[in-house]
Parts: sequence; C-alpha cells; structure tokens
Amino acid sequence: MTNLTLNVNGEIRSASVPPETTLLDLLRDYFSLTGAKRGCDVGDCGACTVIVDGKPVNACLMLAGQAHGRAVLTIEGLATRERLHPIQTAFEERAALQCGFCGPGVILSAKALLERNPNPTVRDIRDAISGNLCRCTGYTKMIEAIQEAARALRGETRERAVPVPVEGARP
Amino acid sequence: MAENRKDARQRQRAPLDAPRRADADLRLPAATPQASYPLEMLVPQVLQQTPAVGQRATRIDARLHGLGQTRYIEDLAFPGMLYARIKRAGIASALIRRIDTRAAEVMPGVMAVLTGREIPVNSFGPSFQDQPVLADAQVFHAGDGVAAVAAVTEQIATEALDRIEVEYEPLPAVFDPLEALKEDAHRVHGGDSNVYASRIIKKGDPDAGFAAADHVLEGRFSTQMVEHVAIEPHAGIATWDPAGRVTIWSSLGRITLGRADIARTLKLPINRIRIVGTIVGGNFGGKNEITQEPVLALLSKKTGRPVKGVYTREEEFAATTTRHPFVMEYRTGVKKNGRILARQVRLVLDGGAYCSWSETTLGKAAILAAGPYRIDNLQVEACVVYTNKTMTGAMRGFGAPQVCFACESHMDDIAAALGIDPLEIRLRNAFEEGSISPTGQVLQTVVIKDTLCRAAQRFGWKEVRT
Repeated sequence: MTNLTLNVNGEIRSASVPPETTLLDLLRDYFSLTGAKRGCDVGDCGACTVIVDGKPVNACLMLAGQAHGRAVLTIEGLATRERLHPIQTAFEERAALQCGFCGPGVILSAKALLERNPNPTVRDIRDAISGNLCRCTGYTKMIEAIQEAARALRGETRERAVPVPVEGARP
Repeated sequence: MAENRKDARQRQRAPLDAPRRADADLRLPAATPQASYPLEMLVPQVLQQTPAVGQRATRIDARLHGLGQTRYIEDLAFPGMLYARIKRAGIASALIRRIDTRAAEVMPGVMAVLTGREIPVNSFGPSFQDQPVLADAQVFHAGDGVAAVAAVTEQIATEALDRIEVEYEPLPAVFDPLEALKEDAHRVHGGDSNVYASRIIKKGDPDAGFAAADHVLEGRFSTQMVEHVAIEPHAGIATWDPAGRVTIWSSLGRITLGRADIARTLKLPINRIRIVGTIVGGNFGGKNEITQEPVLALLSKKTGRPVKGVYTREEEFAATTTRHPFVMEYRTGVKKNGRILARQVRLVLDGGAYCSWSETTLGKAAILAAGPYRIDNLQVEACVVYTNKTMTGAMRGFGAPQVCFACESHMDDIAAALGIDPLEIRLRNAFEEGSISPTGQVLQTVVIKDTLCRAAQRFGWKEVRT
C-alpha cells in the first residue's frame, strides 16, 4: 500500500491506497469527488481532467502516488460557497453544457488556460480544450463561453440584451 | 432583538433570484431559481414570431453539471455493491461447444458467474427478438457476450474473465452486405436468406420516365459504420428487494420499452421491475435498448447484493449498436434543362448481427432516398441484411443522413454533367406547395426554395462560384 498526503481543493487529505491506484480512482473512490468522470480510462476523452499544480492532467493516466505532496484542484473546488466561478456562470448562461458528462473536464481545461493566458484567441481556446471530447455541443458554445468568462475575469462586464418581441414577423 | 426582526423582514423582501435560505447553508452556490416564461410567450399567435427566438435559454440542470454535482450512474454506489464484467467472444461466427467457468468461480472475490443458459428467455429486440443477452449456443459477432462475472472489485472481475474457458467451433462468416446477398453466402441466422426486412416504394412509371429522358446518369455511394461514442459508457446497477422486485438504475434512454424487454428476458411480470432512468451522459440513439441490464439483474439475484456494470470503451465499440453502413445505387433520367423525369434507387443496409432498430431505419431511408424533389416516376428498393459484424441500430436521423449524402452528391454530379449550377438544378426540381412525397403525402408549408435562395444569398454562393 502507498501512503500519500496531498492538497485537494485546499484541504490536506491523506489516503493509503494500492500502488496501482490512479489519481482518478483516488478522487472518486477514496474522496467521493465524482466530478471527474471516467469516459475511456486511456487518456483519450479528457472527461477526467483535473488541475495538478496549475496544469491540467488526465487523472486516469496519473498514478495517485505521483500526486503525493502536490495540489490538486477538481471541479468541486472551483466554485466558492458564495458564488460560481465565472467559467461556470458562462457555461451555464451560454448553454455550453448539454448532457454535462464532459463539462467538468472542459471547465478545468479552460481554467488552466485562463490562469496562464487571460486574453486567449479562439485558436488558443481550441488548443486548450483539444484534449476534451464533447459529443453534444460541437464545441461552438464552449468556445463562446470561455471567451465570455475571459472577459468577465478581466473585469470587462457586459450588459445582457433584453429580448424584444418581434411583431408580425413570419416564421 | 429589533435588529434581528429587521433582518428577517429584509430577508422576506429579498428578490426572487437571491439565494434561497436553504442554499446559503449548503457548501454549494445557490440553485437556479425556478422561472417560467409568461403564458403569452408559450402560446404564440398564428404567423407571429415568438420572443423565444434569439433569446438565450439555460438548462435547468446546467448548474449542477457545471459544478460537477450531477450524479450519473458511475457516480452512484450502494453498500456491498459488486462489479460485473462480461466476457466477449472475440470470434465473429462460431458454435459454442463448451463453457468452463469453474476456475473463475473459485477465485477469491468472485461472487457469481452467469452464462447464457441461465437466462430465462435469452432473446430480445425492439422488432425481432433475435439478439441473445449472452450468447449460449452460437456466436454471431465478435462483441457477443458469452459469460458474466460479479466480483468485489472491477479488477477481480476482469481477471476472472480470463479464467473462463470457452471452446468454439468456428463457422463461416460474412462481413460485406453485398456478399451477404449472394445465393451461396453464409446464412448468419440460418433461414433462406440474410435479408430480414425490405421496402419497395413505387410511383408513376419509371420505365416510361427513363425512355423520355435526354440523359440517364448513374451513381454509386457507400457510407461506413459509425459508433455514437457517448462520453458516458453504458452503465447500470441492479438490486433486488426481499419481496422479489428488482430495481435497475440504468443509462437507458427508453425506460418503458426497456422495462418490457427486461420483463420478457427475466420472465417476470412487468410490475416486478422498476427502472430508474438517471441522467444520461449522451445517448444519440445508442442507449435506446437494453444491453447488460438482465445480466446485472440475474447476477444481483444470485449474490443478493447490488451489482454495477459499466462498459469499457472497447465494449462500447464492439458490443453496442452503431450506425448502418449503406450501399446506395442511384439512376436518374433528366431533361436537358435539368428537370428530373425518373429516378431509381437501390439501398442495401448492413444490419450487422441483429435487427435492433433496422426496420425503422430502413423505412425512413427508403422514404427519404429520392430527396426533396418532384419526381413523378420513382422506384426505391431497399433491404437490410445480416452480417457477422457489430449490430446496427438507432442513431441520429435513422438512416436519413446516409441517403441525403448519396442523393445530394448524385444531384451535384447531374448538375456538373449538364453544366447547370448546383443551386439552380435544385430550385428547378425542389418540392413546391402541394407537392406529393414518394409515399403519397401532400406537402404543405413548403419553404425549401425560399430557404435555399436565402441561404445562398447569406453565405455568398454566387460570389464563391465566380
């Protein structure tokens, strides 16, 4: 068994696990943090993305022992008690989540991107989420949401347009 | 004291979208406030544009998705829960001579092993019940399950699969839909032919139409097998209560249909079966029918414990339904001006090992094969055949994308051969108000020409061409 201590979402957590345990199993089975999903278990889909020391990683490809002494951020640690993270707000408002299974991974990839690049181009965003597969949205809404979150994080707030009924328009 | 009362009054007067009191006590941000649209938005007047268009809509469950708090089946666990794995045949066509599960049964941690012979009614399917839950006498495609194991961990269950010995007697196999049509082809499910469903649509007099045509053009198109690849794999958990009722949490999209299929396979009255349809992590048609649910139910019955099964990504590709590969032959008679006089279409659908939703797919493909065009003389012949491949079933559009690809590619070929603009040839032939569809439906509110013209204008069709 491997004894390990790590920082998960700001809390120091310890566990004793078999050496072959992945970080994903550690988070899901030992800490009940089920926000990171198992989509393929071979590092293709990115549904298990978490942030380790500021870098997005596929938790299914990282051994739990490798996370010893490091800081892990999962989707559960992103929102504070008072408010959602701007990326979560933007994903919700822009309808960037449909079935939601890939959502936690995409949001964390976006978070890692915006930490190191507050003003990303569409190309940068596409690169950053290229390791996250989504079969519902076609990614368009996600890219829009990440752009909006970037604006919000830079302090450029935007007034939301109020829809006005269009009279007599033909369908 | 007075301060407290003031606080309480302020809370009462708090706006509706402020966090609810209960939410503030949770660790989580507030749940989305329930809001409904005003009634007049839900019931628009005739020919009136509703204000919903152009407005941003949010999903009720989007916040929990974004917070990672949505519970999919994989995120559920029950006390004493076991993990099930299914052994896949790995051979496309064979008779099963012998299955020896003794070595797996004695493994520490293995609680139960199940084979096809133990399943009360070992067949299911939405239109033909030709699919075994676990293959017992014969294997029809490589992804067929032959035995299942329930163990205390997923690792032990996976290891136990290797200890199960299965002796096969290989049979001939057929993998190409056109080969499967031949007289001497291997009959996947016995019988006279591999064709298990067909449709013919006939309108007008195709021979006369071709005779009157200035040109006759032919085209042959084919499409490949496509897997849905929902990011959440198929998953289920089954557990029995002491009164003999089974509860199944399942990623099934059609729970009522699934309940009937499970009742049939378990030979239980339907009211003994409760299905909890959880939030599904992507369906796209791939989760429209039962997969491992009867296996989980029987393993749970054997062990008296909840049993969970989650497909691996390999199983998703090998053992769940896919999109039908099509072979499509088009023959069209046209006037010099591009007007279509007659069309003949032959579709061969590769159904894979089992029928699944093939009948529905076949019907829809046949109806839509001629395209949205006014064709007075039409003949569509379509059939679906068994092959020893992963079964095909429902997927987004039920056969419509395949025929649209072929039909529109064929239209482009005709336009090129006649030297007519591809948009122009479609405008000359497209449905109009009151046109009659291939199956005799009189069409109303037909806006195809208007739509095409406006789309062409918006993305600059003419500018790109010149």
